[in-house]
Amino acid sequence: MGKGQAAISNTIRVLRFNAGEMTQAALAEKVGVTRQTIVAIEQGRYSPSLEVAFRIAAAFGVPLEQVFQWHGQDQ
Amino acid sequence: MTFKEMNAGVMLLSAVVISVWVLMGAVGDPGATVPEVAARLCWAMLASVAFNIVAMIVFAILVSIAQGQELKDERADERDHAVSARAMRNGYVVASAGGAAAIFLWAFGFDFTVGIYVLFGGLMLAGATDAASRLYYYRIG
Repeated sequence: MGKGQAAISNTIRVLRFNAGEMTQAALAEKVGVTRQTIVAIEQGRYSPSLEVAFRIAAAFGVPLEQVFQWHGQDQ
Repeated sequence: MTFKEMNAGVMLLSAVVISVWVLMGAVGDPGATVPEVAARLCWAMLASVAFNIVAMIVFAILVSIAQGQELKDERADERDHAVSARAMRNGYVVASAGGAAAIFLWAFGFDFTVGIYVLFGGLMLAGATDAASRLYYYRIG
């Protein structure tokens, strides 16, 4: 939380839209977290654990790097 | 507002109300003996538990009415655990400072009851810090 939020962005909103306007509640149910956690991740206020990140990617059927992008240390 | 945020809000309110009550008692009766002060703080602890139970029920009903749906607690996930851990860390720091302050007061010869009040106040402040931290981390991140 907090420290990593500037360096990590995500495309969850777009992926939800492409997945037939999947709701945050539906994604939360698939991933196994609360809707508030999905909201916080989507807004960049919380960086999830690696496991939850993989679960989110799996929920959309895409690779992890298509969901989360890291912008740190002169990529 | 989620159930966990409401719970933190009620904890914060409880800490403030009970602290004010104890403070008013202390100011109103400065010459109280140690057993009298200890008994007062025992009642304060019981009052805190009762206040939390009643306030949780009342606020759960009020928030449910305001939001138009029943407010239910959800199973805690990794973010809840992270928020809880950080909030408790903040609370422990304040509680430790309260304990240290009480010991210093006794060491420097202050009245024993003053130290007891400082110790109790430190613990109440630690609870308030924990609750305020939860609200902060849930709302701002």
